[in-house]
Amino acid sequence: MKKATIAAVLTASALVLTACSGGTDSNTESNGSDASSPDLNIGNFLDITSWDPSLADIGFDGPYLSAVYDPLVALDADGNPIPALATDWEVSDDFLTVTMNLRTDAKFSDGEVFNADAAVASLEYLKAGARSGEAYLNVDSVSAVDEDTIEFDLTQRDDTLLYFMGLGRSYMVSPAAISAGSLATTPVGSGPYTLDAATSVPGAEYHFAKVADHWDAATYTFPNLAIFPIMDATARHNAMLSGQINVNFAEPANIPQAEQNGWTVTSKVSGWVGLQFTDQTGDKFEPLGDERVRQALNYAFDGAAILDSIGSGAGEVSNQVFPSGSLGYDESLNGLYPYDVDKAKALLAEAGYADGFALTMPMSPIFQTWQAVAEQSLAAIGITVTWDDMQMPDYQINAPTYPVFISFLAMDSNPVATVARQVTSTQWYNPTPAYAAFPDVLAAVDTVHTATGEEQIQATADLNKLLTEKAWWSVWYQSANTYFGADDITVTPVTGMMFPTLRYIQHD
Amino acid sequence: MLRFTIKRLTSGIILLLAVATGTFFLAHLAISDPTAGLLGTTATPAQQEALAVKLGLDRPLLVQFWDWFTHAIVGDFGNSWRNFQPVTAQIALKLPVTLSVVTFATIITAIVGTAVGLISGLRPGSLIDRIVKASTVVLFALPGFWVSLVLVMWFAVQLKWFPAVGYVQPGQSMEGWLRSITLPAVALAVGAIVAVAEQLRNAIVTVNKQDYVRTLRSRGLPQHRIILHILRNASPAALTVLALMFVGLLSGAIVVETIFSLPGIGQLTNSSSQIGDIPVLLGITVISVVFVVIVNFALDVTLGWINPKARVR
Repeated sequence: MKKATIAAVLTASALVLTACSGGTDSNTESNGSDASSPDLNIGNFLDITSWDPSLADIGFDGPYLSAVYDPLVALDADGNPIPALATDWEVSDDFLTVTMNLRTDAKFSDGEVFNADAAVASLEYLKAGARSGEAYLNVDSVSAVDEDTIEFDLTQRDDTLLYFMGLGRSYMVSPAAISAGSLATTPVGSGPYTLDAATSVPGAEYHFAKVADHWDAATYTFPNLAIFPIMDATARHNAMLSGQINVNFAEPANIPQAEQNGWTVTSKVSGWVGLQFTDQTGDKFEPLGDERVRQALNYAFDGAAILDSIGSGAGEVSNQVFPSGSLGYDESLNGLYPYDVDKAKALLAEAGYADGFALTMPMSPIFQTWQAVAEQSLAAIGITVTWDDMQMPDYQINAPTYPVFISFLAMDSNPVATVARQVTSTQWYNPTPAYAAFPDVLAAVDTVHTATGEEQIQATADLNKLLTEKAWWSVWYQSANTYFGADDITVTPVTGMMFPTLRYIQHD
Repeated sequence: MLRFTIKRLTSGIILLLAVATGTFFLAHLAISDPTAGLLGTTATPAQQEALAVKLGLDRPLLVQFWDWFTHAIVGDFGNSWRNFQPVTAQIALKLPVTLSVVTFATIITAIVGTAVGLISGLRPGSLIDRIVKASTVVLFALPGFWVSLVLVMWFAVQLKWFPAVGYVQPGQSMEGWLRSITLPAVALAVGAIVAVAEQLRNAIVTVNKQDYVRTLRSRGLPQHRIILHILRNASPAALTVLALMFVGLLSGAIVVETIFSLPGIGQLTNSSSQIGDIPVLLGITVISVVFVVIVNFALDVTLGWINPKARVR
């Protein structure tokens, strides 16, 4: 057995995190509440997708789900898997078996105990789930070895399994609630809080009661919790100003006022904005098969100006899809495509498109913010765009049938997950991954998938360089999410989570 | 009066049927495949197909319509595609929020609008009348969202008298409920008040000049009795505006619900249309049309009762 992921290091990270929460503080009461800790009132952007973790969306569901459920695996702030209900795990030498040890002191809110059987039932449920299933595509089966050990049998090596589990795909649910089919409306987990349905108003505010003897009470010190889904940014800011909420998914434009009020301000890149190409081979749309055309589409956009004017400056100018500052990211690549219309035109001419070409692209209300700049920038190098208008659900179905479309795609803090989601795996935005058609890209991807440790990280950086040079995408900038916290509350952003889980909202 | 009532009811029902049928087919044509929106982009084609079968989307559209229609006429709008809960239950949860705000706004409008209209109408050309006329133009032109934001900044953020966002159920706290709907209702009422006041003022000025009022005065009738007579004759115009306002406020509530983050019909419409939850959208449409029909019917009957000549229309 090769210990690919050893719990000792991970437990240490977890301890660092829990230490921040004041777990050893003399103020800590027996139920884990910090006597000096205020109530936590979160202003979230979206309402919960579903209380059923198999149907929930990871994006903005983090605070809701992490309140009522415990995950098997969590993530540290850099996106590395850390223990939660699973205390440690081992990956076999052939990478096809993952064995996990489980806690024995967790209990579901309906009184059922958490054990290996419950974990297997939850994982089978999550594997079959329309949304949660994405994490377990390579899991053949999960079985209970003994009362506190489970084993995953994989069909092929999967370095992203633990990351996706930690991202919000391993919430354990009561087997009784699975049988009852009631999770969508009544969550039954072993989390640090329980939903108070009597005082909650669906769609407006959710109130939670603290679980007195939660096994990880030291991490969750807020005596009371409420989450308000407020879509309108001004309304959220006003709610923060009036004191109704003390944590906000914030607008960068309000940062000066936040600083004036003494609030904590944190931010981190969360997604990249630019053009997604679905046809690097040119099968659907010939010009796109020419590397020079794709490079011209990189030179044609003034990322810094777009970030400033449309993105309120919240983010990093970059032309890569690996998050700024993360493993695999290469700062030196950012100088590859400076804004240069002449260079773009010259490249198009070299490729045989001196007069440009006509392009049809899809458009939905969400992407209208960038429509004008896209049209103008493309027109400047002779590309005329015809827009097909559609609503968002239709956009997700139809956009990938176009060779090019404007996208805002979430990024992952785990480099192998980035390779999977942006390059190799079939996604709605990447229906026919083209990497295998390019021998050099295929070889680089294979290296990522066979290497381990530092070598694997270097391999992802090499792949990033190769793909950026090949202009696999036209990335304009990486957009950051911003969070405000009042009363010495700090939100630690995690790339991959649009709103971090409760573990990352702490009272200083 | 009976024939008049039956005629009004019949036209209301025909309108309801036409709108419901039109909305059904338009919604199904506009959203090509709701399963992707409902299950998310990670769902497999097999999971999408299974959901389509579960929702009955594999049947011909006419069959789906007949099934929906026969259930809808007895008040069963089926289940939401998002959470499989009955649509009626969801609307029942959200409608009181919107109705609380809109009804409160209408009451404020009726009281303040009548008072202002009466005061300025009885003394046309006076200082008060001129002030009212001037402010009418300004207030009516103010966008609802701007008024809302000013109210929030002043009364919620600065003075902290009212909450900036959220809704409290009356069952939890009557005071909390009133506080949570006051600012949204006032925001909605501002424009409506001036419209009602303006109509009433003009009607009062006209009625006040009529011969029978002069006759009443010459007979020495007390002023408050005369005002009652004037009001009764001047009210049809104001009532019509008030009824139209009520219906208009229902749709205006969407903006206010967003700004005050109220879980009402507006928000439900917004979130359901984003993911293509057609049963919920259809339920909301039918309920809204029912409201429009009821309000118009009540208005017609009231006007007919006040003024028998109106029944001839």
